[in-house]
Amino acid sequence: MKKFRLYFEEQNRGPLTQLWQQFQRQHAAVFGLVMFAFFLLLTLFAPLITPHNPYVQNPDLLLLAPSWSDQGLVQYPFGTDDLGRDLMSRLMKGATYTFGIALVTVMGALLMGLALGAMAGMSKGVKSSIFNHVLDLALTIPSLLLAIIIVAVLGPGLWNTTWAIMLALLPQFVHGIRNAIQDTLKQDFVAAYRLDGASNWQVLRYAVLPNIWEHITVMATMALSTAILDIAALGFLGLGAQAPTSEWGVMIADALDLIYLAPWAIALPGILVFAAVLSVNLVGDGLRTAMKKRREN
Amino acid sequence: MMLHYFLRRAFLIGFVFVALTVLAFSLSYLFPGEVLNNISGLTDIQPEQRQQLIQYYALDQSLLQQYIAYVNRILDGEWGLSFSSQQPVLSEIIAVFPATLELASYALILSFVLGIPLGLFAAVKADSVFGKLISAVTLVAYSIPIFWWALLLIMLFSLTLGVLPTAGRISVLFDIPTTTGFMLPDIWLSDIDYKSEASQDAFRHLLLPAIVLATYPTTVMIRFTRDSMLAVLEQSYIKTARAKGLSRFEVLYHHGLRNALLPVIRQIGLQFSTLITLAMITEVIFSWPGIGQWLLDSIYQRNYPAIQGGLLVVSCLVIVVNMLTEILHTLFNPLARKA
Repeated sequence: MKKFRLYFEEQNRGPLTQLWQQFQRQHAAVFGLVMFAFFLLLTLFAPLITPHNPYVQNPDLLLLAPSWSDQGLVQYPFGTDDLGRDLMSRLMKGATYTFGIALVTVMGALLMGLALGAMAGMSKGVKSSIFNHVLDLALTIPSLLLAIIIVAVLGPGLWNTTWAIMLALLPQFVHGIRNAIQDTLKQDFVAAYRLDGASNWQVLRYAVLPNIWEHITVMATMALSTAILDIAALGFLGLGAQAPTSEWGVMIADALDLIYLAPWAIALPGILVFAAVLSVNLVGDGLRTAMKKRREN
Repeated sequence: MMLHYFLRRAFLIGFVFVALTVLAFSLSYLFPGEVLNNISGLTDIQPEQRQQLIQYYALDQSLLQQYIAYVNRILDGEWGLSFSSQQPVLSEIIAVFPATLELASYALILSFVLGIPLGLFAAVKADSVFGKLISAVTLVAYSIPIFWWALLLIMLFSLTLGVLPTAGRISVLFDIPTTTGFMLPDIWLSDIDYKSEASQDAFRHLLLPAIVLATYPTTVMIRFTRDSMLAVLEQSYIKTARAKGLSRFEVLYHHGLRNALLPVIRQIGLQFSTLITLAMITEVIFSWPGIGQWLLDSIYQRNYPAIQGGLLVVSCLVIVVNMLTEILHTLFNPLARKA
């Protein structure tokens, strides 16, 4: 990558390549992408690479200190919890729950939001007005409160939380996608395309969607950080994943009784949640900046 | 023009309230257990009472009539009984609600006082070390899970250093008569002779929860103020103001700040629902006797009438704050009035 641009060069590359060029100029964003990839790999391969079984209890090794202290063992890098389960394996498996399920929720909310947002964006008049009002209502109920009510109806549990968070994320997706579609519909090239005789579906498919997918990606990263935080928070409150599951929020809640004895058992899962959210936010910020710069060029 | 705008808003708020009560009403049917128990809050109903109650709650009539009866009861302040205590839900909410409002408003004030100047500074000195440092710190603070952040602060200030208390609004040694439900005003209004000690103690209890709760809104405020200020500084009227020979301060204050803060007003309304969500988690961790802790306790106890009431109150609060900020935004911004 050249550091200075001495001569004016014509940029004839595709939009994706241009976006990537702007993205990789930001070191923080690339760092975030690497972390994101790390968490993604951990999510996919955690069951294969955990050094111990995350659920097997070992009564001989209760509350083993991490390996950097004198009492620790090198086979158990982060020590064990109060039931003798290997903390490192539990943390790795936890990525599947906190990070993986957050990804699934965001995907689900995105697909539903795309369908509803497209319907709302393409409709006009009374229908879209009613839709707006319903959305305004849904946006005013705090996402965690909505999740809590859904959990109260369905009962606690990881899968119910998934549905709850998906529904709680939905309104902002629909709102954002609808606004993006309506902004694009005002553009001249859409009018030209319509004059060529394009149907509503063709306008959406060939003129609108290619122009808003970047916007959707940025929205999805923001939703992903919310989803990770909400899953961990619900787990911590005892409303999401339940006790033996090694979800990071649940692990923090479990270790609360040991706050004096084993502070690292609270610190480590928290650091992972934090790192996961940070990586997502870094990528999202980087994407947004890259998008802005690409449009300016 | 303005009248038309207010009428539209009034219509919208009416619609939202109707939809909200429909949702709360339908919860009686959605929650597990019998509808009569869920709607009245009575845990054990005698057979002879049953017919009378069914008539009272209009359960033998159509759903629409049941709903109308429900709205009438809500307006009359009859919100049913709490399963766990068999006390009226509304009086329990009135007892816990001010604590949440107090915590949330201090956090909001803190986020204004810190967030707006820091955001402006980060925008004006965008390329300096400080500007970049502020942006980096906000990104980090934006990503911290709030419950973990609270635990870290408790571990540092309460367990290791032992300087701040971990739970409650005030030490149990002090007996403060409730007048407003807000702790600090209550202390100042009361006629006790240990006012300064009590307010000092209440302040020490308030410090950690307020800091924890203020973290997220402050970072949002900084980021938003910075982005909005950067956008304003690129406008041509700023160049015009410079060209006229105005000083840097005058340009920033009269031309920059006023325009940059307009979207910030709107952002407060949008972020308020997140703030309430975070307040609920903060309350649980610090045993702050507010509506968040009360609601979560209700969930653990499957206390359905309480959940229903809590939903109504919290959502109404969020809607009202949303509306107020939007109206403020319109009053301050002549451009928004046209649309």
